[in-house]
Amino acid sequence: METFEVFRRSGHKEPFEHCGTVSAPDAEMALLEAKECFTRRREGQHLWVVKRSDIHSFKDESLLEIAADKSYRFAEAYRDVVTKRSQARSRGRALPEKARSST
Amino acid sequence: MTYEDKLARFNAHIDGGGKVEASDFMPDDYRRGVLKFIEMHANSEIMGALPERECLPQAPTLLRKMSLAAKIQDEVGHAQLLYRVAEDLGKSRSAMYEDLLAGKSKFHNVFHYPVQHWGDVAIIGWLIDGAALVTQAALLDSSYAPYTRVLKRICSEEQLHLRHGEHITLMLASGTESQRDLFQDALSRWWLPIIHFFGPRSNVEKDLLLRWKVKTRTNEDLRQEFLDRYVPKVLELGFMFPSPVPVESTGHWIVKDQDIDWAPLEAVKKNRGPETTRRLAARRDVYDRHRWVREVLAAPFTYAA
Repeated sequence: METFEVFRRSGHKEPFEHCGTVSAPDAEMALLEAKECFTRRREGQHLWVVKRSDIHSFKDESLLEIAADKSYRFAEAYRDVVTKRSQARSRGRALPEKARSST
Repeated sequence: MTYEDKLARFNAHIDGGGKVEASDFMPDDYRRGVLKFIEMHANSEIMGALPERECLPQAPTLLRKMSLAAKIQDEVGHAQLLYRVAEDLGKSRSAMYEDLLAGKSKFHNVFHYPVQHWGDVAIIGWLIDGAALVTQAALLDSSYAPYTRVLKRICSEEQLHLRHGEHITLMLASGTESQRDLFQDALSRWWLPIIHFFGPRSNVEKDLLLRWKVKTRTNEDLRQEFLDRYVPKVLELGFMFPSPVPVESTGHWIVKDQDIDWAPLEAVKKNRGPETTRRLAARRDVYDRHRWVREVLAAPFTYAA
């Protein structure tokens, strides 16, 4: 018997999500078990089963930590956009009429 | 890192609200405790299918028969999910099954009692599943993460069972005198086992499962939530509680410790409940008769040459 990880997708707009595990002698049987265990109430329209031994992950999940300060990758690094916007607008309004015209 | 260092880190992780995965380091006592707890839960789901199955032939209509059969299938499904999670803690499913059948492991007290008629189906579906849902919802925040993930599915199905049980209860409660008698008779027999269901007061100092947040609330706390939620609903329908009779006090429905007779629970814990032997024999019988199915499915399929 092998352990299979089960992934389920509820529709075409959703990603596959892990929903549990089953143990089975082969993939065909694993799919049948997964159908009975995880989709009795139309919770999914698509099922995947993957042998657990075929899944690879980091031994040490701390390796997933971001090594240095990379706050510039996140939206919250740009929160001062509101004050910046009003500063830039008042600067723009202060310019002479000629400089503000597009021609 | 020494074992003591790892243990200290583990304790700090738990104290900070951290979760534990199957592949993480965990102290031996944690592994043993969680395994035993989940195994007991799985045993209870599969044994819990039996009393209701005994009631199937008594279903008053075909629709009731089909909906009860679907509920029983859900309970067996819960056992499958839970045994799988327990297996990852290091004990094989067949070993868990053998221990259950040999009486070496436990299942919930309520499944050691007989069922007599359709009123029992109402009690099991509404009040016993209601009690189970109170305890299971409290476990959704357990420190053992793989358990909480299957509990999410189990709880959503239990919500449906609760509705199903309430539906049957309301039909009986609004029916003829003899239909009401069915519910009252079942309530009178089941009330004490339902009070027992939550267990005696927790020993907070000694309970390692509470220490490690596998369980998040004490037995008496969960029992209180159940009483507050369900006692008024039962009274509203005009039914009466046998001993231990709940009394209203300071906004809560209280059952006094000294009014609870714990002797029947002690007998059940030693597998000496009224139906323990017969139910385990029924489970053993199915297990033996289905052996060939397990063997066929476990063998890799090959075409004959």
